[in-house]
Amino acid sequence: MAVHVVGISDFRTSSNPDDIIITYSLGSCIGMTVYDPATRVGGMIHYMLPLSKISPDKALVKPAMFADTGVPELLKKVLELGASKSRLVVKVAGGSQLMDQHKVFNIGERNFLILRKILWKNNILIKAADVGGVISRTVRFELGTGKVTIKSSKGEVEL
Amino acid sequence: MNLKDKITAKISSFPTLPVMVSKLLHVINEPDAGAADVAKIIQYDPALTANVLKAANSAFLGFRSPVNSISEASFRLGTKWIYQIAVSSLIFSNMKKPVAGYDLGEEKLWKHSLSVALMSEALCTLLRIRDVGIIYTAALLHDMGKIVLGEHLVDHLGEIQSIVDEQEIPFEKAEDKIMGIDHAELGALIAERWRFPDTIIDCIRWHHNPDDAPQISNALDIVHIADSMSLMEGFGYGRDELQYRMSEQAVARVNATSAILELALSKTILTMEDIENIVKDMPTENSGREVKT
Ligand SMILES: [Fe+2]
Ligand SMILES: [Fe+2]
Repeated sequence: MAVHVVGISDFRTSSNPDDIIITYSLGSCIGMTVYDPATRVGGMIHYMLPLSKISPDKALVKPAMFADTGVPELLKKVLELGASKSRLVVKVAGGSQLMDQHKVFNIGERNFLILRKILWKNNILIKAADVGGVISRTVRFELGTGKVTIKSSKGEVEL
Repeated sequence: MNLKDKITAKISSFPTLPVMVSKLLHVINEPDAGAADVAKIIQYDPALTANVLKAANSAFLGFRSPVNSISEASFRLGTKWIYQIAVSSLIFSNMKKPVAGYDLGEEKLWKHSLSVALMSEALCTLLRIRDVGIIYTAALLHDMGKIVLGEHLVDHLGEIQSIVDEQEIPFEKAEDKIMGIDHAELGALIAERWRFPDTIIDCIRWHHNPDDAPQISNALDIVHIADSMSLMEGFGYGRDELQYRMSEQAVARVNATSAILELALSKTILTMEDIENIVKDMPTENSGREVKT
Protein backbone atom coordinates (compact mmCIF):
# COMPACT_ATOMS: atom_id res chain seq x y z
CA MET A 1 0.00 0.00 0.00
CA ALA A 2 1.22 3.45 -0.79
CA VAL A 3 0.02 6.90 0.21
CA HIS A 4 0.49 9.40 -2.61
CA VAL A 5 0.50 13.06 -1.64
CA VAL A 6 -0.52 15.48 -4.35
CA GLY A 7 1.20 18.86 -4.01
CA ILE A 8 -0.05 22.15 -5.47
CA SER A 9 0.05 22.00 -9.29
CA ASP A 10 0.43 18.26 -9.38
CA PHE A 11 -1.56 15.09 -10.03
CA ARG A 12 -1.24 11.41 -9.10
CA THR A 13 -2.85 8.31 -10.54
CA SER A 14 -2.96 4.69 -9.42
CA SER A 15 -4.39 1.32 -10.35
CA ASN A 16 -3.50 -0.31 -7.05
CA PRO A 17 -6.64 -0.81 -4.92
CA ASP A 18 -4.55 -0.63 -1.74
CA ASP A 19 -3.38 2.91 -2.48
CA ILE A 20 -4.56 6.17 -0.99
CA ILE A 21 -4.20 9.59 -2.59
CA ILE A 22 -4.26 12.71 -0.40
CA THR A 23 -4.02 16.44 -0.95
CA TYR A 24 -3.72 19.02 1.83
CA SER A 25 -4.75 22.65 2.35
CA LEU A 26 -6.99 23.29 -0.64
CA GLY A 27 -7.98 26.93 -0.60
CA SER A 28 -9.04 28.53 -3.85
CA CYS A 29 -7.33 25.66 -5.68
CA ILE A 30 -9.43 22.73 -6.89
CA GLY A 31 -8.90 19.11 -5.97
CA MET A 32 -10.65 16.70 -8.32
CA THR A 33 -10.77 12.92 -8.07
CA VAL A 34 -11.67 10.63 -10.98
CA TYR A 35 -12.44 6.94 -10.47
CA ASP A 36 -13.54 3.94 -12.46
CA PRO A 37 -15.22 1.55 -9.98
CA ALA A 38 -15.03 -1.39 -12.41
CA THR A 39 -11.27 -1.37 -12.94
CA ARG A 40 -10.52 0.51 -9.70
CA VAL A 41 -8.29 2.95 -11.53
CA GLY A 42 -8.25 6.55 -10.34
CA GLY A 43 -6.40 9.78 -9.89
CA MET A 44 -6.41 13.19 -8.24
CA ILE A 45 -5.31 16.63 -9.42
CA HIS A 46 -4.66 19.79 -7.35
CA TYR A 47 -4.54 22.75 -9.72
CA MET A 48 -4.24 26.42 -8.79
CA LEU A 49 -5.28 28.47 -11.82
CA PRO A 50 -7.95 28.24 -14.53
CA LEU A 51 -6.21 28.98 -17.82
CA SER A 52 -2.67 28.35 -19.08
CA LYS A 53 -2.74 31.23 -21.54
CA ILE A 54 -1.23 33.55 -18.90
CA SER A 55 1.99 31.52 -19.03
CA PRO A 56 2.20 28.74 -21.65
CA ASP A 57 5.86 28.04 -20.78
CA LYS A 58 4.92 27.20 -17.19
CA ALA A 59 2.14 24.93 -18.47
CA LEU A 60 4.79 22.95 -20.35
CA VAL A 61 6.83 22.39 -17.19
CA LYS A 62 3.86 21.92 -14.85
CA PRO A 63 0.64 21.19 -16.78
CA ALA A 64 -1.24 20.48 -13.53
CA MET A 65 -0.85 24.11 -12.50
CA PHE A 66 -3.78 24.99 -14.77
CA ALA A 67 -7.22 23.45 -15.23
CA ASP A 68 -7.16 23.58 -19.03
CA THR A 69 -3.85 21.69 -19.33
CA GLY A 70 -3.94 19.59 -16.14
CA VAL A 71 -7.43 18.09 -16.30
CA PRO A 72 -7.05 16.63 -19.84
CA GLU A 73 -3.64 15.27 -18.78
CA LEU A 74 -5.16 13.52 -15.75
CA LEU A 75 -8.02 12.09 -17.86
CA LYS A 76 -5.55 10.81 -20.44
CA LYS A 77 -3.44 9.08 -17.76
CA VAL A 78 -6.35 7.26 -16.09
CA LEU A 79 -7.70 6.11 -19.45
CA GLU A 80 -4.25 4.75 -20.28
CA LEU A 81 -4.27 2.87 -16.96
CA GLY A 82 -7.53 1.16 -17.94
CA ALA A 83 -10.32 3.45 -16.78
CA SER A 84 -13.33 3.92 -19.04
CA LYS A 85 -14.59 7.43 -19.67
CA SER A 86 -18.23 6.41 -19.46
CA ARG A 87 -17.79 4.93 -16.00
CA LEU A 88 -15.72 7.77 -14.52
CA VAL A 89 -16.95 9.05 -11.16
CA VAL A 90 -15.81 12.64 -10.67
CA LYS A 91 -15.74 14.45 -7.32
CA VAL A 92 -14.62 18.01 -6.73
CA ALA A 93 -13.48 19.99 -3.68
CA GLY A 94 -11.92 23.39 -2.97
CA GLY A 95 -12.58 26.66 -4.76
CA SER A 96 -12.68 28.64 -1.52
CA GLN A 97 -12.53 32.42 -1.42
CA LEU A 98 -11.77 35.23 0.97
CA MET A 99 -14.69 36.99 2.72
CA ASP A 100 -17.00 38.96 0.42
CA GLN A 101 -14.77 38.28 -2.52
CA HIS A 102 -17.18 38.90 -5.36
CA LYS A 103 -15.47 41.01 -7.93
CA VAL A 104 -11.76 41.08 -7.24
CA PHE A 105 -9.73 38.14 -8.36
CA ASN A 106 -12.15 35.43 -7.33
CA ILE A 107 -9.85 32.64 -8.39
CA GLY A 108 -11.76 29.98 -6.46
CA GLU A 109 -15.00 30.60 -8.31
CA ARG A 110 -13.28 30.82 -11.69
CA ASN A 111 -11.37 27.62 -11.01
CA PHE A 112 -14.65 25.75 -10.53
CA LEU A 113 -16.42 27.41 -13.48
CA ILE A 114 -13.70 26.44 -15.93
CA LEU A 115 -13.68 22.86 -14.66
CA ARG A 116 -17.41 22.51 -15.27
CA LYS A 117 -16.87 23.77 -18.80
CA ILE A 118 -14.04 21.34 -19.51
CA LEU A 119 -15.97 18.36 -18.12
CA TRP A 120 -19.14 19.36 -19.96
CA LYS A 121 -17.21 19.42 -23.24
CA ASN A 122 -15.93 15.93 -22.44
CA ASN A 123 -19.41 14.65 -21.58
CA ILE A 124 -18.37 13.90 -18.02
CA LEU A 125 -20.70 14.61 -15.09
CA ILE A 126 -19.69 15.74 -11.62
CA LYS A 127 -21.03 13.22 -9.11
CA ALA A 128 -20.43 15.34 -6.00
CA ALA A 129 -18.83 18.67 -5.12
CA ASP A 130 -17.91 20.49 -1.93
CA VAL A 131 -16.75 23.91 -3.08
CA GLY A 132 -16.62 27.52 -1.90
CA GLY A 133 -16.67 29.07 1.54
CA VAL A 134 -13.82 30.54 3.56
CA ILE A 135 -12.38 27.21 4.67
CA SER A 136 -9.41 25.05 3.76
CA ARG A 137 -9.93 21.40 2.88
CA THR A 138 -7.96 18.18 2.92
CA VAL A 139 -9.08 15.48 0.48
CA ARG A 140 -8.49 11.74 1.00
CA PHE A 141 -9.24 9.25 -1.77
CA GLU A 142 -9.23 5.44 -1.38
CA LEU A 143 -8.54 3.56 -4.60
CA GLY A 144 -10.02 0.31 -3.30
CA THR A 145 -13.49 1.70 -2.68
CA GLY A 146 -13.49 5.06 -4.44
CA LYS A 147 -14.39 6.67 -1.13
CA VAL A 148 -13.57 10.39 -0.96
CA THR A 149 -13.52 12.21 2.39
CA ILE A 150 -13.12 15.92 3.01
CA LYS A 151 -11.62 17.20 6.24
CA SER A 152 -11.95 20.84 7.27
CA SER A 153 -12.60 22.98 10.33
CA LYS A 154 -16.28 22.09 9.84
CA GLY A 155 -15.49 18.43 10.45
CA GLU A 156 -15.07 15.36 8.28
CA VAL A 157 -17.59 14.42 5.57
CA GLU A 158 -17.79 11.82 2.86
CA LEU A 159 -18.27 13.24 -0.59
CA MET B 1 -4.53 44.70 34.20
CA ASN B 2 -6.87 44.21 31.25
CA LEU B 3 -6.25 41.61 28.58
CA LYS B 4 -4.71 44.05 26.09
CA ASP B 5 -2.17 45.35 28.62
CA LYS B 6 -1.34 41.79 29.60
CA ILE B 7 -0.67 40.92 25.97
CA THR B 8 1.35 44.03 25.09
CA ALA B 9 3.48 43.52 28.20
CA LYS B 10 4.72 40.34 26.52
CA ILE B 11 6.35 42.32 23.73
CA SER B 12 9.37 43.12 25.88
CA SER B 13 10.22 39.44 26.15
CA PHE B 14 9.73 38.81 22.43
CA PRO B 15 13.01 37.54 20.96
CA THR B 16 15.00 40.29 19.36
CA LEU B 17 15.77 40.19 15.68
CA PRO B 18 19.31 39.24 14.64
CA VAL B 19 21.26 42.50 14.50
CA MET B 20 22.40 41.57 10.99
CA VAL B 21 18.87 42.09 9.68
CA SER B 22 18.83 45.69 10.87
CA LYS B 23 22.26 46.29 9.38
CA LEU B 24 21.28 44.86 6.00
CA LEU B 25 18.01 46.73 6.07
CA HIS B 26 19.83 49.96 6.80
CA VAL B 27 22.08 49.51 3.77
CA ILE B 28 19.35 48.39 1.38
CA ASN B 29 17.25 51.38 2.47
CA GLU B 30 19.95 53.85 1.40
CA PRO B 31 19.21 55.11 -2.10
CA ASP B 32 22.87 54.86 -3.19
CA ALA B 33 23.60 51.49 -1.60
CA GLY B 34 25.44 49.14 -3.89
CA ALA B 35 26.40 45.50 -4.07
CA ALA B 36 29.64 46.19 -2.23
CA ASP B 37 27.83 47.48 0.87
CA VAL B 38 25.61 44.41 1.17
CA ALA B 39 28.56 42.10 0.54
CA LYS B 40 30.62 43.88 3.19
CA ILE B 41 28.01 43.32 5.86
CA ILE B 42 27.46 39.66 4.99
CA GLN B 43 31.19 38.93 4.86
CA TYR B 44 31.52 40.27 8.38
CA ASP B 45 29.48 37.28 9.59
CA PRO B 46 31.09 33.90 8.81
CA ALA B 47 27.94 31.83 9.45
CA LEU B 48 25.85 34.04 7.20
CA THR B 49 28.53 34.00 4.51
CA ALA B 50 28.49 30.21 4.58
CA ASN B 51 24.69 30.22 4.32
CA VAL B 52 24.60 32.52 1.32
CA LEU B 53 27.36 30.59 -0.48
CA LYS B 54 25.56 27.33 0.18
CA ALA B 55 22.43 28.83 -1.35
CA ALA B 56 24.34 30.20 -4.34
CA ASN B 57 25.80 26.75 -4.96
CA SER B 58 22.56 24.84 -4.50
CA ALA B 59 21.54 22.50 -7.24
CA PHE B 60 18.49 24.41 -8.43
CA LEU B 61 20.54 27.38 -9.61
CA GLY B 62 22.67 24.95 -11.58
CA PHE B 63 25.95 26.86 -11.89
CA ARG B 64 28.67 24.68 -13.41
CA SER B 65 31.57 26.33 -11.61
CA PRO B 66 31.25 26.91 -7.87
CA VAL B 67 30.54 30.34 -6.40
CA ASN B 68 33.40 31.05 -4.01
CA SER B 69 32.78 34.45 -2.52
CA ILE B 70 29.98 36.84 -1.63
CA SER B 71 31.14 39.35 -4.21
CA GLU B 72 31.10 36.64 -6.87
CA ALA B 73 27.64 35.59 -5.71
CA SER B 74 26.34 39.13 -5.92
CA PHE B 75 27.88 39.52 -9.36
CA ARG B 76 26.21 36.35 -10.67
CA LEU B 77 22.91 36.54 -8.81
CA GLY B 78 22.45 40.20 -7.98
CA THR B 79 22.45 42.14 -4.73
CA LYS B 80 18.70 41.75 -4.33
CA TRP B 81 18.95 37.95 -4.38
CA ILE B 82 21.78 37.88 -1.84
CA TYR B 83 19.86 40.22 0.42
CA GLN B 84 16.71 38.11 0.25
CA ILE B 85 18.48 34.83 1.01
CA ALA B 86 20.39 36.43 3.88
CA VAL B 87 17.29 37.97 5.47
CA SER B 88 15.17 34.86 4.93
CA SER B 89 17.73 32.63 6.62
CA LEU B 90 18.26 35.09 9.49
CA ILE B 91 14.54 35.32 10.20
CA PHE B 92 13.84 31.58 9.82
CA SER B 93 14.79 30.73 13.42
CA ASN B 94 12.40 33.39 14.78
CA MET B 95 9.47 32.08 12.74
CA LYS B 96 9.84 28.30 12.49
CA LYS B 97 8.24 27.33 15.81
CA PRO B 98 4.60 26.19 15.95
CA VAL B 99 2.14 28.93 16.94
CA ALA B 100 -0.53 27.86 19.42
CA GLY B 101 -3.96 29.43 19.14
CA TYR B 102 -3.70 29.78 15.40
CA ASP B 103 -3.01 26.03 15.14
CA LEU B 104 0.04 26.71 13.02
CA GLY B 105 2.24 23.62 13.08
CA GLU B 106 6.00 23.43 12.84
CA GLU B 107 7.31 25.84 10.17
CA LYS B 108 3.78 26.80 9.02
CA LEU B 109 4.06 30.49 9.94
CA TRP B 110 7.45 30.49 8.29
CA LYS B 111 6.05 28.96 5.13
CA HIS B 112 3.24 31.48 4.96
CA SER B 113 5.62 34.39 5.60
CA LEU B 114 8.07 33.22 2.95
CA SER B 115 5.30 32.77 0.40
CA VAL B 116 4.07 36.34 1.01
CA ALA B 117 7.64 37.61 0.63
CA LEU B 118 8.17 35.75 -2.65
CA MET B 119 4.74 36.79 -3.92
CA SER B 120 5.56 40.42 -3.07
CA GLU B 121 8.80 40.14 -4.97
CA ALA B 122 7.04 38.66 -8.00
CA LEU B 123 4.41 41.42 -7.91
CA CYS B 124 7.06 44.16 -7.62
CA THR B 125 8.89 42.78 -10.64
CA LEU B 126 5.72 42.50 -12.74
CA LEU B 127 4.43 45.93 -11.70
CA ARG B 128 7.84 47.62 -11.85
CA ILE B 129 7.72 48.71 -8.23
CA ARG B 130 11.02 49.53 -6.52
CA ASP B 131 12.05 49.13 -2.88
CA VAL B 132 11.83 45.35 -3.16
CA GLY B 133 14.22 44.91 -0.20
CA ILE B 134 11.97 46.81 2.20
CA ILE B 135 8.81 45.20 0.89
CA TYR B 136 10.34 41.69 1.05
CA THR B 137 11.35 42.22 4.69
CA ALA B 138 7.96 43.64 5.65
CA ALA B 139 6.28 40.65 4.00
CA LEU B 140 8.48 38.19 5.92
CA LEU B 141 7.51 39.81 9.22
CA HIS B 142 3.89 40.87 8.58
CA ASP B 143 2.30 38.18 10.79
CA MET B 144 4.87 38.00 13.59
CA GLY B 145 2.29 39.48 15.98
CA LYS B 146 0.61 36.06 15.81
CA ILE B 147 3.50 34.61 17.82
CA VAL B 148 2.62 36.89 20.75
CA LEU B 149 -1.17 36.86 20.34
CA GLY B 150 -1.39 33.10 19.71
CA GLU B 151 -0.80 31.93 23.26
CA HIS B 152 -3.56 34.22 24.56
CA LEU B 153 -5.90 33.31 21.73
CA VAL B 154 -6.19 29.69 22.88
CA ASP B 155 -8.76 30.50 25.60
CA HIS B 156 -10.83 32.83 23.39
CA LEU B 157 -11.05 30.98 20.08
CA GLY B 158 -14.69 30.05 20.58
CA GLU B 159 -15.74 33.66 21.23
CA ILE B 160 -13.68 34.96 18.32
CA GLN B 161 -15.05 32.43 15.84
CA SER B 162 -18.63 33.03 16.93
CA ILE B 163 -18.46 36.78 16.35
CA VAL B 164 -16.74 36.18 12.99
CA ASP B 165 -19.73 33.99 12.08
CA GLU B 166 -22.48 36.16 13.59
CA GLN B 167 -21.25 39.60 12.57
CA GLU B 168 -19.53 38.47 9.37
CA ILE B 169 -16.38 40.39 10.21
CA PRO B 170 -12.83 39.32 9.33
CA PHE B 171 -10.73 37.43 11.85
CA GLU B 172 -8.44 40.33 12.83
CA LYS B 173 -11.45 42.55 13.62
CA ALA B 174 -12.77 39.82 15.90
CA GLU B 175 -9.37 39.51 17.57
CA ASP B 176 -9.48 43.21 18.29
CA LYS B 177 -13.00 43.03 19.72
CA ILE B 178 -12.31 40.12 22.04
CA MET B 179 -8.63 40.59 22.91
CA GLY B 180 -8.44 44.39 22.69
CA ILE B 181 -5.70 44.17 20.05
CA ASP B 182 -5.10 42.26 16.81
CA HIS B 183 -2.02 40.45 15.47
CA ALA B 184 -1.26 43.22 12.97
CA GLU B 185 -1.08 45.94 15.63
CA LEU B 186 1.00 43.70 17.88
CA GLY B 187 3.47 43.01 15.07
CA ALA B 188 3.73 46.76 14.43
CA LEU B 189 4.51 47.39 18.11
CA ILE B 190 7.31 44.83 17.94
CA ALA B 191 8.72 46.44 14.79
CA GLU B 192 8.56 49.86 16.49
CA ARG B 193 10.57 48.47 19.37
CA TRP B 194 13.15 47.29 16.87
CA ARG B 195 13.22 50.86 15.44
CA PHE B 196 12.38 49.61 11.97
CA PRO B 197 11.74 52.01 9.05
CA ASP B 198 8.23 53.51 9.12
CA THR B 199 7.32 51.87 5.80
CA ILE B 200 7.80 48.41 7.31
CA ILE B 201 5.93 49.29 10.49
CA ASP B 202 2.99 50.56 8.41
CA CYS B 203 3.00 47.45 6.21
CA ILE B 204 2.73 45.27 9.29
CA ARG B 205 0.13 47.41 11.09
CA TRP B 206 -2.26 47.79 8.13
CA HIS B 207 -1.66 44.56 6.22
CA HIS B 208 -5.30 43.51 6.51
CA ASN B 209 -6.76 47.02 6.12
CA PRO B 210 -4.64 49.08 3.73
CA ASP B 211 -7.51 51.47 2.98
CA ASP B 212 -7.60 52.60 6.62
CA ALA B 213 -3.90 53.49 6.79
CA PRO B 214 -3.13 57.19 7.31
CA GLN B 215 -0.54 56.91 4.59
CA ILE B 216 -1.07 54.69 1.57
CA SER B 217 2.02 53.24 -0.09
CA ASN B 218 2.90 50.76 -2.81
CA ALA B 219 4.69 48.69 -0.19
CA LEU B 220 1.56 48.37 1.92
CA ASP B 221 -0.68 47.54 -1.04
CA ILE B 222 1.76 44.91 -2.29
CA VAL B 223 2.08 43.19 1.10
CA HIS B 224 -1.72 43.21 1.47
CA ILE B 225 -2.32 41.73 -1.98
CA ALA B 226 0.47 39.16 -1.59
CA ASP B 227 -0.91 38.11 1.81
CA SER B 228 -4.43 37.76 0.39
CA MET B 229 -3.18 35.61 -2.46
CA SER B 230 -1.11 33.44 -0.17
CA LEU B 231 -4.22 32.90 1.97
CA MET B 232 -6.15 31.82 -1.12
CA GLU B 233 -3.44 29.42 -2.24
CA GLY B 234 -3.06 27.77 1.14
CA PHE B 235 0.61 28.23 1.92
CA GLY B 236 0.53 27.43 5.63
CA TYR B 237 -3.09 27.64 6.79
CA GLY B 238 -3.91 28.27 10.42
CA ARG B 239 -7.08 28.36 12.49
CA ASP B 240 -8.08 31.71 10.89
CA GLU B 241 -8.14 30.08 7.42
CA LEU B 242 -9.46 32.43 4.71
CA GLN B 243 -11.48 34.62 7.04
CA TYR B 244 -10.04 37.90 5.82
CA ARG B 245 -10.89 40.50 3.17
CA MET B 246 -8.97 41.68 0.13
CA SER B 247 -9.20 45.36 -0.77
CA GLU B 248 -10.40 46.13 -4.28
CA GLN B 249 -8.91 49.61 -3.97
CA ALA B 250 -5.44 48.26 -3.19
CA VAL B 251 -5.54 46.13 -6.34
CA ALA B 252 -6.66 49.15 -8.37
CA ARG B 253 -4.04 51.47 -6.83
CA VAL B 254 -1.11 49.33 -8.02
CA ASN B 255 -2.81 48.64 -11.39
CA ALA B 256 -2.71 44.89 -10.90
CA THR B 257 -4.77 43.05 -13.51
CA SER B 258 -5.94 39.55 -12.88
CA ALA B 259 -3.41 38.26 -15.42
CA ILE B 260 -0.61 39.89 -13.42
CA LEU B 261 -1.89 38.43 -10.15
CA GLU B 262 -2.12 34.98 -11.72
CA LEU B 263 1.39 35.27 -13.14
CA ALA B 264 2.72 36.24 -9.71
CA LEU B 265 1.04 33.17 -8.23
CA SER B 266 2.46 30.81 -10.82
CA LYS B 267 5.93 32.30 -10.37
CA THR B 268 5.79 31.94 -6.61
CA ILE B 269 4.73 28.32 -6.64
CA LEU B 270 7.70 27.42 -8.83
CA THR B 271 10.32 29.08 -6.59
CA MET B 272 8.71 28.47 -3.21
CA GLU B 273 9.91 24.93 -2.64
CA ASP B 274 13.48 25.60 -3.73
CA ILE B 275 13.92 28.67 -1.54
CA GLU B 276 12.19 26.93 1.36
CA ASN B 277 14.59 24.01 1.20
CA ILE B 278 17.66 26.19 0.84
CA VAL B 279 16.76 28.24 3.89
CA LYS B 280 15.72 25.17 5.91
CA ASP B 281 19.00 23.44 5.18
CA MET B 282 21.02 26.21 6.68
CA PRO B 283 22.50 26.11 10.14
CA THR B 284 20.32 28.41 12.21
CA GLU B 285 22.18 28.94 15.48
CA ASN B 286 22.22 32.65 15.96
CA SER B 287 24.59 32.68 18.90
CA GLY B 288 26.36 35.99 19.16
CA ARG B 289 24.12 37.58 16.57
CA GLU B 290 21.20 38.57 18.74
CA VAL B 291 20.91 41.86 20.52
CA LYS B 292 18.61 42.86 23.33
CA THR B 293 16.79 46.13 22.83
FE1 LIG C 1 -2.26 38.70 9.11
FE1 LIG D 1 -0.56 36.69 6.62
